Amino acid sequence: MTETYTGPILEIDNLSISFFTRLREIPAVMDFSATIMPGDSLGLVGESGCGKSTVALGVMQDLGVNGRIVGGSIRFKGEELTTMSPDRLRALRGREIAMIYQEPMASLNPAMTVGAQLIEVPMIHEGISKGDAYARALETVADVKLPDPKRILKAYPHQLSGGQQQRIVIAMALMSKPSLLILDEPTTALDVTVEAAVVQLVRDLGRKYGTSMLFISHNLGLVLDTCDRINVMYSGEAVERGSIADVFDDMQHPYTQALFRAIPLPGASKTTRPLKAIPGNFPLPDARPKGCNFGPRCDYFEAGRCDAGPIPMQRITGDDRHLTRCIKFNAIDWNAPVTKAIETAPTAPGKVILRMEDLKKYYDTRGNTAFGGVSQVVKANESLTFDAREAETLAIVGESGCGKSTFAKVLMGLETATSGNITLDEKSISDVPIENRTTQTVADIQMVFQNPFDTLNPSMTVGRQIIRALEVFRIGKSDGERRRRMLDLLDLVKLPRTFADRMPRQLSGGQKQRVGIARAFAGDARIVVADEPVSALDVSVQAAVADLLMDIQARQNTTLLFISHDLSIVRYLADRVLVMYLGHVVELGTTEQVFSPPYHPYTEALLSAVPIADTRVTKRRIVLKGEIPSAMNPPPGCPFQTRCPRKHQVAGDLCERELPPMRTLSDGLQIKCHLPDEEFAAMEPVIQMAGNSVA
Amino acid sequence: MEPLTWTGSLGQFLNPVLMITATALVLTAAAQIIAGLFAPAVTLQSNADGSLMARGGAFGAVETALKWAFIATVVTLTAYLAAGLVMPYGRAGIVGAVAKRFLPVFIALIALFAVSMTFKRRLGLYGKLFDSTVGMIGFTLVMFWVFSAIFSGLFDMIATHDPLRPISGLKNKLPGVSVPEEGLYPHYLLGGDNLARDVFSRMVTGSVVVIAIAPLATLFAFMVGITLGLPAGYFGGKLDAFLTFIANLILAFPVILLFYLLVTPEIVATGIPSYMAAVLFVFPLVFTAVLLNSRYATQPAKRTVILVVVLGFFGWLYLSLISQEDTPLRILPAWLDGFDVNSGILVVFVSVVFVNAPTVFRIVRGLSMDIKTRDYVAAAQTRGEGPWYIMLWEILPNARGPLIVDFCLRIGYTTILLGTLGFFGLGLPPESPDWGSTINEGRKLLLIYIHPPLPPALALLTLVLGLNLLADGLREESLRD
Repeated sequence: MTETYTGPILEIDNLSISFFTRLREIPAVMDFSATIMPGDSLGLVGESGCGKSTVALGVMQDLGVNGRIVGGSIRFKGEELTTMSPDRLRALRGREIAMIYQEPMASLNPAMTVGAQLIEVPMIHEGISKGDAYARALETVADVKLPDPKRILKAYPHQLSGGQQQRIVIAMALMSKPSLLILDEPTTALDVTVEAAVVQLVRDLGRKYGTSMLFISHNLGLVLDTCDRINVMYSGEAVERGSIADVFDDMQHPYTQALFRAIPLPGASKTTRPLKAIPGNFPLPDARPKGCNFGPRCDYFEAGRCDAGPIPMQRITGDDRHLTRCIKFNAIDWNAPVTKAIETAPTAPGKVILRMEDLKKYYDTRGNTAFGGVSQVVKANESLTFDAREAETLAIVGESGCGKSTFAKVLMGLETATSGNITLDEKSISDVPIENRTTQTVADIQMVFQNPFDTLNPSMTVGRQIIRALEVFRIGKSDGERRRRMLDLLDLVKLPRTFADRMPRQLSGGQKQRVGIARAFAGDARIVVADEPVSALDVSVQAAVADLLMDIQARQNTTLLFISHDLSIVRYLADRVLVMYLGHVVELGTTEQVFSPPYHPYTEALLSAVPIADTRVTKRRIVLKGEIPSAMNPPPGCPFQTRCPRKHQVAGDLCERELPPMRTLSDGLQIKCHLPDEEFAAMEPVIQMAGNSVA
Repeated sequence: MEPLTWTGSLGQFLNPVLMITATALVLTAAAQIIAGLFAPAVTLQSNADGSLMARGGAFGAVETALKWAFIATVVTLTAYLAAGLVMPYGRAGIVGAVAKRFLPVFIALIALFAVSMTFKRRLGLYGKLFDSTVGMIGFTLVMFWVFSAIFSGLFDMIATHDPLRPISGLKNKLPGVSVPEEGLYPHYLLGGDNLARDVFSRMVTGSVVVIAIAPLATLFAFMVGITLGLPAGYFGGKLDAFLTFIANLILAFPVILLFYLLVTPEIVATGIPSYMAAVLFVFPLVFTAVLLNSRYATQPAKRTVILVVVLGFFGWLYLSLISQEDTPLRILPAWLDGFDVNSGILVVFVSVVFVNAPTVFRIVRGLSMDIKTRDYVAAAQTRGEGPWYIMLWEILPNARGPLIVDFCLRIGYTTILLGTLGFFGLGLPPESPDWGSTINEGRKLLLIYIHPPLPPALALLTLVLGLNLLADGLREESLRD
């Protein structure tokens, strides 16, 4: 390890990693190769379970007792890692190779101050004095753009927000100026606007220090934003690798192609260009097919050729180190247009069935009033006013803490509103808690939950859970009738009928989410609140579940309240969009209107923050400063004024004094902002696509 | 008849072998500990044939030697038992004779293991137990005593003599002494106690008392803890504060004093123990009723039938249990009173529930506070389920892992508690062969004769150890998926 080393930082050759259980050997990574040059960043993309994190752990030589490298080599700056002594490894880890994990809170020791955790890194690895280490910690904390470094260093991790914690983890990784930084889904746990800021930080720091990066993510858009090269993994194998431009614009593997067709890019729309889900399921590591792993799900599968034997990586001539693991890549016409799925006619929204008027929900967090504590009010929802029509999809967009879950609870009747009114079919339900609602009302408003691993009771069979919903909604006269209805519901969500007797743990995430949807529609719900129903699913499954929701909605004329923070999917499937910030509705209009100027400044920042996996797209970068204020202590005036990049365009301190009124602009677009009309008129689209604007 | 020696003719050959293997075991174990201080870190090596090698060199050799010494010792010990089974009576000494008496238990154990191992993939958590060595050892120890209790309690098989009948001349006699009376089993295998009764038979019969009472009493404690812990955790607030306070109060009360109070004649005369029993035993009834009602509330016709049948039966059991002669609670007429329970056993039940329920309450409360935040609970709430359905059908089944483990551990505590109660002369009748009472009696002459209290003490030790190991195994395996 010399300072003048110029070769590749990391070279992985034909790496194979297996995990050993008592029963058998389970290969997790097979024949994986990659090279990272100094200053380069490599993106490792794939769905959960494809082995991308295992590669990272293999590089760190931290596979646990069951995992073992069974073949190939990993060379770091020319040194072989697989046969390295534990002492040498310990010297490398943290100093030369640093890793950043997904959960920032889990990476920080809650019992130590941030400062103490930071300064021990160079003290251990470089043996420098405490004073020098402290100086460096101050410098690094300033580098990761945290305000008031001295105060931060004295803080304990729980006193910082998620975004700040992740910045501290990044600072810790950079304390010893490593040559290689491994980031394992570093922003998955963060909100979009915070994610955008952290991603930009990582990119800037990488440039500043010349650090090479291995960036692991399931999000193609993020990889496009941060990396130079990409390696797509599927079921333990790299299926395609090359430069970002080659892989994104000239993909040579069916899986990569299918992946791109499954994510909602600008231009996709549920009526004219629907997403194309990848058929079938991800193979389990112990049940991989012979030959090409992707074969059974591939459109170009050719029996006898694709399943004949192991398929090596093949070089594509002309491109820069562009390889694909597809036998037929020369035979496939990669530019053939997508076979059009049947175009569905857009369903016309019907009459208004749900109306919210000036809905408010305050929580009283009585911090020990008996002993002189101050009673604080959390204003979770402030004056929500909107209506939803039959058969329409209304998206509710906002980051965590914006009050969307509270709103859902009030609508479902789990909480009662502080003031305001909810009317369902001209009947007020805002003061009726769920135990006093009629069975029909309860069955009419149902919910689909976010986390597929939490949505089903793990100790009850799938069929039993659906039948229970039928029993509660008083559907069917006998057990037999209910069972038939349950099987019909399984058909509706396109699950095999045999699943009725399975336990939830035997199902994949997407299948569980389908059961959750079947359960919500058990009583022919007319309003379904879908709380981020696809955000926890893999890309290839997301499209299928979203389409299923749309399909059932169209068939049953359901009103769908789609809560999400992911603007790409919202643009794809929503008819109207409602943007929330800190309990307020800041913008409300049709999808078209919300995604094109004029924007509310917050919507503008959100749009800019969403990573888009399309090289043709150029975005105006708007990075928000700071964090979302606490709903316990909202800022005076406009809720967004503390982070608003356009505050200077409003005369005087109006934003800090007064809550802006809801203004209705052209065609019914409503925006809650003080900006003068001429500023709205002068706004440019955030997203430009190869010359012409799409949003 | 000649008195039996410990190992009989078997000893001439096996004793030296055991000496050698045991010495080898001790030496290699010591060597391994010393070598472990200097050995290099484990590095995995793959061999050409695809197998794995963890260590080699001197340290590896010591490890291998230790392994073989251990196996040799176990084989030798098993040989004592096996030879005892096949050799004619008396030739294999006391060890052989005891092994022969326990033959039905061994056969049952082997049959149980054969069946369980064959179908272990289909048996859920129970089947997974057979993946864990610790769990299997624990299960073997527990089932050994369970089968002993079954065979001696139901079929009168294992015990050699009447556990309550003294035989003149055998007071405090050493193990292997021959019985002077004709027509009886020819020896006191483990000697006689200070009332000239057979120690071996008393130990075996004692297992019946322990195995019959301990799990049942623990089950009652769980019912109480669960019925109170679920709402405390689910609703929270004032109810939770109140119940937790009560639980803390009971936990802080000196237990032994409580036991004495329960059997003090003045207190018994006021009827307090009976009333306490009446209150505590009503919990399982309430629990069952709520469980079934919340499940079938949507189908009233079915619900009513099921509730009437089940509650009728349980109600009768309950009333029979609490209505006693000579107590203020005489509810059922004699012809309806199915059975009477010894008042001492009632005291045992009340004390066990009293001691254990608060702890179970706290565990269940914590678990339900955690599980109530899950989405499937929210899903149940949004379809308008009542709180008891959510608690009993959505939360409780998903809290079962930690509860099963705790149940096993708690049977162990209860067994010791039974011993403690017996030791103080509380609860069971004085001549009862249960292990605690037997140990207490033996204690008095411990300095002169150690053989009467030792077998029940070892029996208690193995059962509790087995329950703890079983709990460990279950915990390990339930965490696995």
